Amino acid sequence: MSEDSGFGRYTNFYGPQGRLVLVDSALEAVQRGSTTIGIKTPEFALISSHIKPTRTLIDPSEKIFAIDSHVGATGSGYIGDILQLIDELRVEAQRHRLTFENPIDVNSLAKHLGTFLHRYTIYAVRPQAASVIISGVDQKGVQLYQVDPSGTFFGGSGFAIGQSSDVALTEIQRGYSGDMNIEQAVKLSNKAIEKALGERPVVETGLVTSKEKIFRKIPQ
Amino acid sequence: MTTIVGIKTKEGVVLGSDKRASKGFFIGSKITQKIAKIDDTLAIAIAGQLSDAEYLIKVAKAERKLMELRRGFPLDVKESTKLIANLAYSGLRNYQPYYVELLVAGVDQDGGHVFVADMSGAITNEDFAASGSGSPIAYGVLESVYNKDLTNEQAKEIANKAVAAAMERDPGSGNGIDLLAIPNLLVKEVPS
Repeated sequence: MSEDSGFGRYTNFYGPQGRLVLVDSALEAVQRGSTTIGIKTPEFALISSHIKPTRTLIDPSEKIFAIDSHVGATGSGYIGDILQLIDELRVEAQRHRLTFENPIDVNSLAKHLGTFLHRYTIYAVRPQAASVIISGVDQKGVQLYQVDPSGTFFGGSGFAIGQSSDVALTEIQRGYSGDMNIEQAVKLSNKAIEKALGERPVVETGLVTSKEKIFRKIPQ
Repeated sequence: MTTIVGIKTKEGVVLGSDKRASKGFFIGSKITQKIAKIDDTLAIAIAGQLSDAEYLIKVAKAERKLMELRRGFPLDVKESTKLIANLAYSGLRNYQPYYVELLVAGVDQDGGHVFVADMSGAITNEDFAASGSGSPIAYGVLESVYNKDLTNEQAKEIANKAVAAAMERDPGSGNGIDLLAIPNLLVKEVPS
């Protein structure tokens, strides 16, 4: 009982300003991850992530993940944590198919991941250091969601997470228009990542369209 | 009840089934789908308790999709069959067997395959197979005409004949025939 926090041997969740310090640290870790972007129009949703350069003999890790035939996701933060969350999404998508014999809607997926992440914020464990962007098509059309380590999730038309994400997001806000085509969106996301990093980056990109309803990686 | 047949060919695999679902001595349905397509490379023909079979197929489909997403390439036909057999075996060991005999047929890198998976969890790899109450009659046809050089088109005719013969004499089978042919994935490149 030597700690001055008064919590004994237990982790102190709240900082002096009433912030959840562990969650703040997780968000901090996400901010150091690779710059990752999501853009949505009524016709399609696009997700793109910066691939950090590795040594020549080492293959870079995959950053765009298929969740189900109609959903894809990407993330920023610790890759091990991202992978764990991706698998949670995949299992939930198949669980939904088992129960309802229908593909899962993207909101339910985002909500599930939010709930999953939220559990890590209420026990004395390490919150997952990863934010995830989910893109997909369902009964309500094209969907794009961001889910954060706190369990917060929100839908929208443009997201940026990871390193210099504020710069990237500003760039997307400036260049975004609802009637842009896929080519323009790819260009915009590349430009946003380039602006954030100050150099021409290698990126991995995934796309889902309202017409085709199938998530695919775009070959570079 | 039921007659289902599966035939391996040099071009892929062919499945055939009747359409009758019996409720004792009553015909419960005349338009039952007994061939479940899992995807473009795999299909399963059902004999036995329909609910059990549908459940096994549903779970296998989900697990197969998950595995494909996780490792980046799909399960081959044998792996898919084993997935179902594992479920069937655990059912048997828990004194709650899934009352089924399934023909798992599909194509992968090695061409066409027909596997029989039953409620005991056993798997056999066959050139051709039949299952259900009409199977002895269907086997009579299959045994007399099968050879390894069949095309899918020829196999469809044989499958049709085998199920038709069973429907003539087996009261558990009838009301029409479903056929499904799955062509091989690879057209092997001619070495230049």
